[in-house]
Amino acid sequence: MKEKRMNPRKVSAVKDFICVVPVLIFLAIFTYYPIAELFRISFTDWNLLKDTWQYVGFKNWQWLFNGSGTRYLWNSLRVTVLYSIGELTVTIVGGMIFALIFNRMNKAFSAMRAIVFMPKYVAMSSAAVVFLWILNTDTGILNYLLSLVGISAVDWLGDRNTALISVLMLTGWRCIGYGMMVYLSAMMGISADYYEAASLDGASSFQKFVSITLPMLSPTTLFLFVTTFISSMKVFQSVDILTQGGPYRSTEVFVYNIYRYAMVDFRMDRAATVAIFFFVLLLLVTVATMKISNGRITYDS
Amino acid sequence: MSKQELSSAKARNESAKRNRRIKAAVQWVLAIIVVLIIVFPIYWMLVSSVKSQEEILLAVPTLWPREFHFENYINVLNRGNFAKYYWNTAVMTAGILISQVVTGIFAAYGFSKGKFRGQNVCFIIVLGALMIPLQVTFIPLYIMMANWGLSDTFLGLILPEAVSPYYIFMLRQTFMAIDDSYVEAARMDGLGRVGIITKILAPMCKSTLFTVTLVTFTNGWNSYFWPKIIARGEKRRVLTIGLAQLQNTFAGNETMNNHEIMAGAVLAVVPVIILFFIFQKYMLTGYSKAAMK
Repeated sequence: MKEKRMNPRKVSAVKDFICVVPVLIFLAIFTYYPIAELFRISFTDWNLLKDTWQYVGFKNWQWLFNGSGTRYLWNSLRVTVLYSIGELTVTIVGGMIFALIFNRMNKAFSAMRAIVFMPKYVAMSSAAVVFLWILNTDTGILNYLLSLVGISAVDWLGDRNTALISVLMLTGWRCIGYGMMVYLSAMMGISADYYEAASLDGASSFQKFVSITLPMLSPTTLFLFVTTFISSMKVFQSVDILTQGGPYRSTEVFVYNIYRYAMVDFRMDRAATVAIFFFVLLLLVTVATMKISNGRITYDS
Repeated sequence: MSKQELSSAKARNESAKRNRRIKAAVQWVLAIIVVLIIVFPIYWMLVSSVKSQEEILLAVPTLWPREFHFENYINVLNRGNFAKYYWNTAVMTAGILISQVVTGIFAAYGFSKGKFRGQNVCFIIVLGALMIPLQVTFIPLYIMMANWGLSDTFLGLILPEAVSPYYIFMLRQTFMAIDDSYVEAARMDGLGRVGIITKILAPMCKSTLFTVTLVTFTNGWNSYFWPKIIARGEKRRVLTIGLAQLQNTFAGNETMNNHEIMAGAVLAVVPVIILFFIFQKYMLTGYSKAAMK
């Protein structure tokens, strides 16, 4: 009797649960299980070109931290950090400057804003082949323009000193409009009262920017920092098309490093080991940035 | 107010006006410079795509093509096998889109309006997946797919992207904002879950739903990393990969065929850019909306 009365609610709960079951199954198979597999593979000597494999304990970890892999690990860590700093600077500083420039509400400016934002929607591969062509040493237009002002041809992608900068040019072109839009929509949320009060006190535009706009935008800045930092660590495509990690591994970011071990050398064991290291790094960065962002935010009351 | 005070107020007013005008002029000049720089790569892609091979190799680049060679597009469609890449990309994107939308809407409903034991734990499982990108898991995934015979197939391209924690999260937040009384009332009227989703929740969240779906479409259309891993052969190659490989496909000097490569680049971005112009309102807010929540 009692059980029967309970039934409708139970049935409803089961039906609600069924709504989320497909997603859980999918994530279990395609997201969580591979992580476990990754750990297992890192303890083997799995080379795709060989027929057999066996467990070898911590050999790969030794290779990574105290062996021939160490050098390339630190190299890719350094390159990734440099790249991240570049992308963060462009998105946050560049985005803020662009937001100030384009902060004018009329039709012409809204059209111009759309144009500045558009590169975000241009497929990275299209953008990358265009930049390959623009940056070409012999026939690229950038070197031609530089030659007009007396600068001799730069081997943008072939020189280890400029290769990462070239990759960042492409990144910047695609990301700066995004930073701008995020800042602009946050700026619109700042109440005009603050500015009016400051004007009455005789504050200059610059003072208003420093003491009102910047602090009020700090949650937005933090948001941009956290999301851009994490996504910039996963960069692959621009590097793959522009430089393939070269020259001399000067643009070999983390994901490219893993990709090279797995899909070029077919050393699944080594690739898995680096991938785990990368995963832990991502987790640490995520947790750390989340911690920082808690408590350092100014809210508009 | 005395005459003197009045005139000084007037002067102050005038100088403020002048300041404002100067500020506007500076903004206009800077904005136009920025727009020209940003638009240049797109412009360069378009004009290079209709130049002749001779013209693109000139020592002094021409800003406007001397003659228009639209046959570059036909060449790239035939020689570069682009028609097939187009089809592959379209099917892959459609597959990803449909499965992400369907699974996403139901899951978002379950997490926002549903009630069952372990709901929070389940939601944490979904959120946790946000921290595990394909760039980490691609090795076991690749092996798994290959073992299932799914390399170079549509299913192989779609499966790992079939569920999007981001999409679920966004929709759940939106559904949460809708008052439960609407759902209760619909339930009284005898609507089931599918009815509540299609007749109440989806129409009420139209704009968010549309925006995140557009982002999903663009991400699918422009995806590169996973297709590069799983579709290594020619059979199911997608546009982004095909374009990157054009450099190698054309024999000889890499710069020789840049006019045709540019034509390929234009072909690859056209669908998304058309969408961008039609649904500008949604697409401009798309990412920033994701940002604010």
